[in-house]
Amino acid sequence: MIWSLFAVLSLVATILMGMPLLRRRQEVLASSNATPAVLLDQLDELNRDLDRGVISAAEAQAAEQELKQRILSEARKPESSKVRSVEDGRVALLLSAILVPVLALSYYAFNGSPEVSGIAFAKRTAERQEAAKIADLTDELSEKLASDPQGGPSEGWMLLGQTYSRMGRFVDAANAFNTVAKRPEANSAVFSMMAEALINEEQGVVTPRAEAAIDSAINLDPANPAAIFYKATALSQRGELRKAHDLLVARLDNADGFHPWMQSFLAEANRIGVEIGKAPLSMASFAPMPTDLGPTGEDIANAQDMTEEDRQAFIRSMVDRLATRLEDEPNDLDGWMRLGNAFSVLGDTSSAVNAFERAETLLLNVPESDQRRSVVANALSGLR
Amino acid sequence: MTPEVGHFALALALAMALVQSVLPILGATRGNVLWMQSARWSALGQVGFVGIAFAALMQAFVTSDFTVTNVFENSHSLKPMLFKIAGTWGSHEGSLLLWVFILTVFGAAVSVFGSNIPDALKARTLSVQAWISVGFLTFMLFTSNPFDRLYPPPPNGQDLNPLLQDVGLAMHPPLLYFGYVGFSIVFSFAVAALLEGRVDAAWARWVRPWTLAAWMSLTAGIALGSWWAYYELGWGGWWFWDPVENVSFMPWLMGTALLHSAIVTEKRGAFKSWTILLAILTFSLSLLGTFIVRSGLLTSVHAFAVDPERGLYILGLLALSIGGSLALFSWRAPMMEPGGLFKPVSREAGLLVNNLILATATGVVLFGTLYPLFYEAITGGEKLSVGPPFFNAAFIPMMLPLVFVMGLGPYLSWKRADLAGVLQRLRFVAVLSVLATLAVWYLTQGGPVLGYLAIMIAVWLLLATVREWMMRVRLFEVSFAESTRRVKSLPRAAHGMSLAHAGLAVAMLGFTGSSVWKSEEIVFVTPGEAVTIAGFNVTFEGADRVRGANYFADRANLTVRRDGEILTQLYPERRTYPVAGSNTTESAIRSTLAGDLYASIAEPASKEVGASGAWTLRILYEPLVNFIWIGSAMLVLGGGLSLSDRRLRVGVPRRRIALSLSKVPAE
Repeated sequence: MIWSLFAVLSLVATILMGMPLLRRRQEVLASSNATPAVLLDQLDELNRDLDRGVISAAEAQAAEQELKQRILSEARKPESSKVRSVEDGRVALLLSAILVPVLALSYYAFNGSPEVSGIAFAKRTAERQEAAKIADLTDELSEKLASDPQGGPSEGWMLLGQTYSRMGRFVDAANAFNTVAKRPEANSAVFSMMAEALINEEQGVVTPRAEAAIDSAINLDPANPAAIFYKATALSQRGELRKAHDLLVARLDNADGFHPWMQSFLAEANRIGVEIGKAPLSMASFAPMPTDLGPTGEDIANAQDMTEEDRQAFIRSMVDRLATRLEDEPNDLDGWMRLGNAFSVLGDTSSAVNAFERAETLLLNVPESDQRRSVVANALSGLR
Repeated sequence: MTPEVGHFALALALAMALVQSVLPILGATRGNVLWMQSARWSALGQVGFVGIAFAALMQAFVTSDFTVTNVFENSHSLKPMLFKIAGTWGSHEGSLLLWVFILTVFGAAVSVFGSNIPDALKARTLSVQAWISVGFLTFMLFTSNPFDRLYPPPPNGQDLNPLLQDVGLAMHPPLLYFGYVGFSIVFSFAVAALLEGRVDAAWARWVRPWTLAAWMSLTAGIALGSWWAYYELGWGGWWFWDPVENVSFMPWLMGTALLHSAIVTEKRGAFKSWTILLAILTFSLSLLGTFIVRSGLLTSVHAFAVDPERGLYILGLLALSIGGSLALFSWRAPMMEPGGLFKPVSREAGLLVNNLILATATGVVLFGTLYPLFYEAITGGEKLSVGPPFFNAAFIPMMLPLVFVMGLGPYLSWKRADLAGVLQRLRFVAVLSVLATLAVWYLTQGGPVLGYLAIMIAVWLLLATVREWMMRVRLFEVSFAESTRRVKSLPRAAHGMSLAHAGLAVAMLGFTGSSVWKSEEIVFVTPGEAVTIAGFNVTFEGADRVRGANYFADRANLTVRRDGEILTQLYPERRTYPVAGSNTTESAIRSTLAGDLYASIAEPASKEVGASGAWTLRILYEPLVNFIWIGSAMLVLGGGLSLSDRRLRVGVPRRRIALSLSKVPAE
């Protein structure tokens, strides 16, 4: 549809440019010397001036004489008659007519976004209702937790904090996480989520309060990727680029197989690496590259906003999609491992075992040292 | 999909402009009719495609399509419809699109209405116009694309600025831009004439309607902006010598000079190079205005240096167009045929004085506007402000002689005028001006000498203009029927001149009255308390909290009395818009021809006064302030009247030339 519109516009442009070719009889050229007409008009004005007495009769006569002389001398100037044959330049004009859409299309090919359709605000009611529902539910949850004489369950506060984070209410989110952080059961993730909310609130700047939370998170779990990432951010913001880089690379070295967070680690390490003159690193040195990154960020965002039943169904559909794809690409080791994990999360043990068994057969072709061997073996022993 | 159609249409317009910038001008040099004629169609194509793009962007604003980044950043679904539409040109990107759209409108207008312009001149003019198009279209597409997309769309837009939700402000940029960009076509004509090496009476006449149209829009735009500031900002001022105002005022001053200089070129064949130079400078100042406002230079030189991409691009464009055209001017202008000679007392000389003063005044404004920017750049960030005292001291004394000569000018004949005779005719006008000033002095009982002088000169201009018009139609000299016939037969341009000159006189009375004899009181008031100002007794009855559509407001209730008699109630408001988190002042004005009583309510003052219900109240009396808007309207109408003159619209029929020429006796 959009391309046919572009085609129509291009056609119109070409026809417009070619119009001089299409017209059979050339228009008569306007006289290149219209000055006499203007001067004649001034003669009229002279008479009016004389009439209202601005100038004397003698002055008027002198002026009239001068004007007439100018008219004559203009009229005697040769008309420029350099007009060539009309046949000349037809090809150049035709080429320009074709050039116009070609230029436009080549610009658009690089800069256009034909895949993004426009959405009027009025047509987005469903989205808004959903957002309003979530906001209402969040407020409800917040009130319930706050009025709980026992202080409310930690899971509730964590859910509240995560929801606030997604809504962009980072101060509220940090407060919710902070409630849990003060409790003895607070784990590393609580502190790193709190740090993330605090950093987002400051538009990416790591404040001392955020860094304190990061340090607590690392104390509780030295391998927490989020905490390490933000620690590196804090270091690089202080100008300790080398330290930041080393920290990121060390954590990447310790990774067991591929995890999505490794990509941000790698990107950040390479960004810092440019400044301190380190050669760029590639994922292959830390983990084999996956062919499918699984659900997109958008999918996850959608899943997070759903009710529990919807979420289950959604995850189920995602898993089915992966399973279908793996039927076509049965040699995707990482894919089978992810499918096995997904089924075990959904509680579908037999399907999980099936998936891991497929992975196990593929593992026969990888070297003994590959960490994925032990991951699959552990998973299978756990499931069986 | 619509935004993408708009984006693609812009690309097509750019491609067409590229072809138009080369082919017609080559055709004009080589005498190739086909290539020259292609300009007509590509100019139409450009306006069509940029029009499609503009409509597409407007559609995105109207439907609040937040997949367009520009709409997300500059609109909100809750904005009233009028302001959604106005939002189309509210942003940097949108205003550029409007700029280019108007540019192409003028190009297309020349190709459609310019049937009396020789093909070669028209082709060159349209090519030069296309150079400007290419410059701005590439600037827009590569640094400020209004059709950048955003996916997924955010829940709602970001902008709901209540201060900018004003009808006057919504209409302000389009009018201002029509003025700015209208001068582009005059610039293109000037450059084309330089390339052709020919400036004659006919050229001057072709340029005049475009100059007039641009000048009218700019006048209306500036007046509207000042009217908005007066009503909306709540300070009671109508001109602040703010850089944003100055950059629109400079092309106006220069354009006014151009308008008059072109008359001399048309009527006397003189001032040719000067007219060309003015055409170049007027548009250069318009470009400079666009650059200063759009590059962020105004907020701070530092902000410009941090994100210089846009600023540098437009600076390059500016250097290329101004430098290039001036270089061309210095090369070609000496080849112009010299014009007719004139004596020191003549209409030419009068117009020369007008031009010199206007050009100097422009220089003064330019200096005052740019000096703080240079100062900040050189000192490395120190701010300096050049404010009204500088401009009042440097600009106003220059305007008084100008206006004085304006009264004389239309009485002077071309070539050589009889000054004694003219002064003889004007002696009553002079006496009346002095009497009127004495009357003002008696009424006001005090004020600066400059104020009285300004009043005297304004009255002088008004009366001299009216007297000149009466002479033309011989009012009271011949029968009324004969005068009516003369009114009808007088060219509209002559009526236009009289109306515009009188308009300036009226506006000048307004400028002077409202600034010299302004009274102002800022007081803390408790309910029941009264303020006396300029003979009015204003009683503060109290303030209530009222609710509006998307705001709530504190509304003061004021009773205005004079000599104990109640004249009116005034209800100034201080509005708070919770969504935008901002406040606006809605002044209440009792407007009469004699002056405005202007009231606005500021912060609550209970703490300062120590009593509840106390407020800070600001009351102003501005005599004759409405004369400013009336005078501005007369200026615009005068320009319109001139523009509607048949001679400018259609030129002179060819057949009549042939006939009349045969009547001219051979030498």
